[in-house]
Amino acid sequence: MEVSFSKEVQQLRQGAGETFHGEGILAITKALLQSGVAYVGGYQGAPVSHLLDVMVQAGDTMAELGVHVEACSNEASAAAMLGASIHYPLRGAVTWKSVVGTNVAADALSNLASPGVTGGALIVVGEDYGEGASVIQERTHAFAMKSSLLLLDPRPQLPNMVRMVEQGFALSEACNTPAILQLRVRACHVRGSFECRDNVSPAVSRKALMDDPARFDYEKLAHPPATFRQEKLKFEQRLPAARRFIVEHALNEIFPGRRDDVGLIVQGGLHNTLVRALQQFGLADAFGDAEFPILALNVSYPLVPEQIRDFCAGKRAVLVVEEGQPEFIEQEIATALRRLDQGNTGTAIHGKDLLQMAGEYTVEVIAQGLLRFLARHAANVSVAGAQDWLAANAARRKNVASQLAAPLPPRPPQFCTGCPERPVFSALKLAQQNVGPVHIAADIGCHAFATFEPFGFGHTILGYGMSLASRAGVSPMLKRRALAVMGDGGFWHNGLLTGVESALFNDDDAVLLIMKNGYTSATGTQDIISTPDEEEKAGAPDKRLSLVDRNQTIERTLAGIGVAWLRTVPSYEVNAMRRTLEEAFTTDYAGLKVIIAEGECQLERQRRVKPWLAGLLKAGKRVVRVRYGVDGDVCSGDHSCIRLSGCPTLTLADSGDPLKVDPVATVIDGCVGCGLCGENAHAATLCPSFYRAEIVTNPGVGERALDALRRGVIGLFQKP
Amino acid sequence: MNARQPVTLLIAALGGEGGGVLAEWLVDLATRAGHPAQATSIPGVAQRTGATTYYVEIHPQSFAELGGRTPVLSLAPVPGCVDLMVASELLEAVRAIQSGFVSTERTRLLTSTHRTLTTFEKMALGDGRFDDERLLEVAAANCRQLAAFDVDATAREAGTAPSAVLLGAIAASSVLPFERAAFEAVIRASGRGVEASLRGFALAFERCAAALGAPPAPGFPAEPDLVEIGYARVVEFQDAAYGELYRQRVERLRAAERQCDPQGRHGGALVREGARFLALWMAFDDVIRVADLKSRAARFARVRADAGARPGDLLRIADHLKPGLAELAGLLPPAIANHLLTLETRRQRDGKAPLAIPLKLRADGLAGFFGLRLLAALRPLRRLGRRYAAEQALIERWLATVESAAARDWQAALELALCARLIKGYGATNERARNNLRHILEHLAAAKPETIRAARDAALADEGGVAFDKALTAAGAPPRPVPPIPVRWHARRSA
Repeated sequence: MEVSFSKEVQQLRQGAGETFHGEGILAITKALLQSGVAYVGGYQGAPVSHLLDVMVQAGDTMAELGVHVEACSNEASAAAMLGASIHYPLRGAVTWKSVVGTNVAADALSNLASPGVTGGALIVVGEDYGEGASVIQERTHAFAMKSSLLLLDPRPQLPNMVRMVEQGFALSEACNTPAILQLRVRACHVRGSFECRDNVSPAVSRKALMDDPARFDYEKLAHPPATFRQEKLKFEQRLPAARRFIVEHALNEIFPGRRDDVGLIVQGGLHNTLVRALQQFGLADAFGDAEFPILALNVSYPLVPEQIRDFCAGKRAVLVVEEGQPEFIEQEIATALRRLDQGNTGTAIHGKDLLQMAGEYTVEVIAQGLLRFLARHAANVSVAGAQDWLAANAARRKNVASQLAAPLPPRPPQFCTGCPERPVFSALKLAQQNVGPVHIAADIGCHAFATFEPFGFGHTILGYGMSLASRAGVSPMLKRRALAVMGDGGFWHNGLLTGVESALFNDDDAVLLIMKNGYTSATGTQDIISTPDEEEKAGAPDKRLSLVDRNQTIERTLAGIGVAWLRTVPSYEVNAMRRTLEEAFTTDYAGLKVIIAEGECQLERQRRVKPWLAGLLKAGKRVVRVRYGVDGDVCSGDHSCIRLSGCPTLTLADSGDPLKVDPVATVIDGCVGCGLCGENAHAATLCPSFYRAEIVTNPGVGERALDALRRGVIGLFQKP
Repeated sequence: MNARQPVTLLIAALGGEGGGVLAEWLVDLATRAGHPAQATSIPGVAQRTGATTYYVEIHPQSFAELGGRTPVLSLAPVPGCVDLMVASELLEAVRAIQSGFVSTERTRLLTSTHRTLTTFEKMALGDGRFDDERLLEVAAANCRQLAAFDVDATAREAGTAPSAVLLGAIAASSVLPFERAAFEAVIRASGRGVEASLRGFALAFERCAAALGAPPAPGFPAEPDLVEIGYARVVEFQDAAYGELYRQRVERLRAAERQCDPQGRHGGALVREGARFLALWMAFDDVIRVADLKSRAARFARVRADAGARPGDLLRIADHLKPGLAELAGLLPPAIANHLLTLETRRQRDGKAPLAIPLKLRADGLAGFFGLRLLAALRPLRRLGRRYAAEQALIERWLATVESAAARDWQAALELALCARLIKGYGATNERARNNLRHILEHLAAAKPETIRAARDAALADEGGVAFDKALTAAGAPPRPVPPIPVRWHARRSA
């Protein structure tokens, strides 16, 4: 795993009287334990990876409490895990990245929501929306509505986030409905503090087992005819119960204002941003005391019509600040008011008509909406300050752009230094020079960085593990074979079934390239079923070696399911990989061809190597370090090596030659000596500039003597 | 700064530089001093060396002063409302400025002067780097106060991460209401690599303090005499006679320039630039040249330094060489060479891979070293070789074209002279470059200066020559003939 949470694990043990300092998502984790959660599951993915990671690392604490932690194979298995709360008084929590994870979990979620739960069920989703998001921009809100799940969107202050977890379980139990707790990216990573309470060991747990399973109860099955009654239950009993609880426990917060003729309704998660926007108008102070009353919806589904009506009572107009499209909350509010007041309500409802429909709601965006809102309904408020501020921002950007003359080059993420996946795409680039361009179905994972320069590979991305399936309609229509690229993470997430099984069953003529780096690296190098064992890592005499070949689960699985054409190629062997790709594209074998690119995630390797080498050096032992380099005087500054690699440590420097105007290639500190530079120089017949340097520290007596002799002889014949 | 409004810090960094650690330190710093503080970030996949930001807010009043009131802190930076902008890399500082976060009224800017080049900049066939000077100017012109120093170098000097260095700079900026000791206490409490971090902190503290308000003055190196340097290069490449040939050619350029610019209004730019590329071209990189460069003592020393070998460490150098038949034939007399090359072209037409010998040559081993010296010793025979003849022919062609252009227009002559910049690379790359130049000389010799410049820039725009062909057609010249590349592909029969 990429991050070590030793410190955080300690904080999970904290009790009443102590203060937790740390990340939002870890505060949520602590809150789960304070709520007496009995089981936790999920699938990693930014921004919620840390929840599961820290729990996995906190094995002892979990064991003491009797909490079961499951690292699920995908979001569907995590959602299905919540089935434990249908019959049993067990509080369960699962987590994943939304909206994508929720899509994968949708089937199980519907079948969970219909019978409903006995024990509180909480789904912590990272709403990967806006700046820093890595997935399609959609709202989780829609899932809550369609399945009648509760949706919590807490005001992003640690004490409130913790309270919403605790109350979320109670709410879920009060209305037998699973609850989704939605956290935006910045809320997950916000660093703050809260006063802890003691962890609660669940009544039923791994330490206190149940004697018997629940009695058979057809009404708890998501199966007809029960499903018809369950649908009625949702709106006849569960949602009304939820609304009562929301009001009784004041889950939604009302912040009074100095004037009452207009008001603001905001998703809890956007409260801080709204306050900061109001401050630009001088309409709120540093503590959130505002000119206008604010209703912060810590629960954004379901709404409580009466609460909305009371808030709107006597107000000329209300602005609904709701991020993302479509405007579900605004519509629900409008409907509620109209129904309750038979349409006589004097309150004008605004939202997406004044605020932008799509995209993240930043302070600037909200301020622009407020400007329009105030102009229409609070003309006596001075908006000059905010207007000047907005104008200044626009002017500044325009001004700087003109000063720069040229647009700044973007800096997307890329393969790490020494990443085993980079060489595979170098080989693919070379292979296409020989066999012609191919259709490339890309996937989710680090390998998706190949869609960026210098490679620019990938025609489509249809979801995690979907690449092979996504070319099923393309291959039959294309004279040349299509390539599907998939990581081992995606393979286990669902690529094996949606892709491989389907391709075999339909005798598809397809090529699948699996990046076997041993972990779900893009999400933080979490372990998977094909991760090399800890014993292998401990036992390896040379910690620098890739160890993924020690785990053959993928190969055995593919053989078992009936893949007849299977090649495994060490990913750094560019030429071998090029030849194998060319063979796959041109062979007469018409079935599924699978190439496994074998090379362990460099991040994980370095986590082993660094302390190991440091230890050897400390002990004065012999250590050989490998580093690549470029002879600047031989490099002609064409940079084709970079167009074939893009390694962060292969960069440019002034030639230092007054005649050469173009910068030459150079290798900077940080090179891990992966060997790609040399491989490419040979595979692509690049240029003679590249060299491999081996630095031997603490050499033996013999080799030192030999070296001295050699240098002596060479010195005699060497030019300065 | 309003005593009731939070102090705001925006940190721009690259994933993996420890920006998260820095944000954590700042929150700890405030917390230990009893001030409300909050930090957020949006790492996501950007943690894989992409551009990302970290945002910190610290309330100027302590909890004691607040008496139970809790400020509402923002999770995201607000344009124009940042008190301290910190950037671990120059381009990222300017990116934040372009996004509008930095204001001349409010924002102090601490930025590194060093550049981590983006892939886009590195990929270019020529020089795609964004102009550092301009970046620094924009940074200086758009903030309240600038402190610029090399964070990367400082970190390496202290053997620590950029995070510790940036913390030192933040302390020196005195934007935060905390003593230096308080900052150092946070580093000590962090427990890992403390000594190195404190070294980096101290170095940065003084460098930032020194740099505050004093943007580094861009140095203007004196223009060296390129003709002399070129002459030396060419003599070293071959011999004095070859040097004489260089001088003669430069003289022809001089005569040509005198003809179109008698008063020397352009300060002899044509001669200077022509002489520059002429020297590089005449000292073309063939096997002999490369073997010579690779076997020199200065080279061994440079590799030792670049590899960071300490005294007592042994160094082994393995050169990745792959001389192709073309390179080797280049050393042979044209008659024999051409025969070999026709055979090779036939082989390749049949879809066979080009003949080339992949070598991992131990330049520091006796066999390898003497092998290189042996090749280098072939220098006198170079004149007999095919490559030599071919290069001289194309050089003469280029020179003649420049001369005839000079007869009508100085600018056109200069643009054509600059086209020699296209000549670079080895093997296929070099072949492509020569063809591009040949094509320009053939079809754009009489074209307008801007047309020639456009074609030259286009030739350096992309490997495939897409932009080049577009520029050519735009100039009314024919696109380059499509070279026959044998593509082996497997056609699937339609059902």
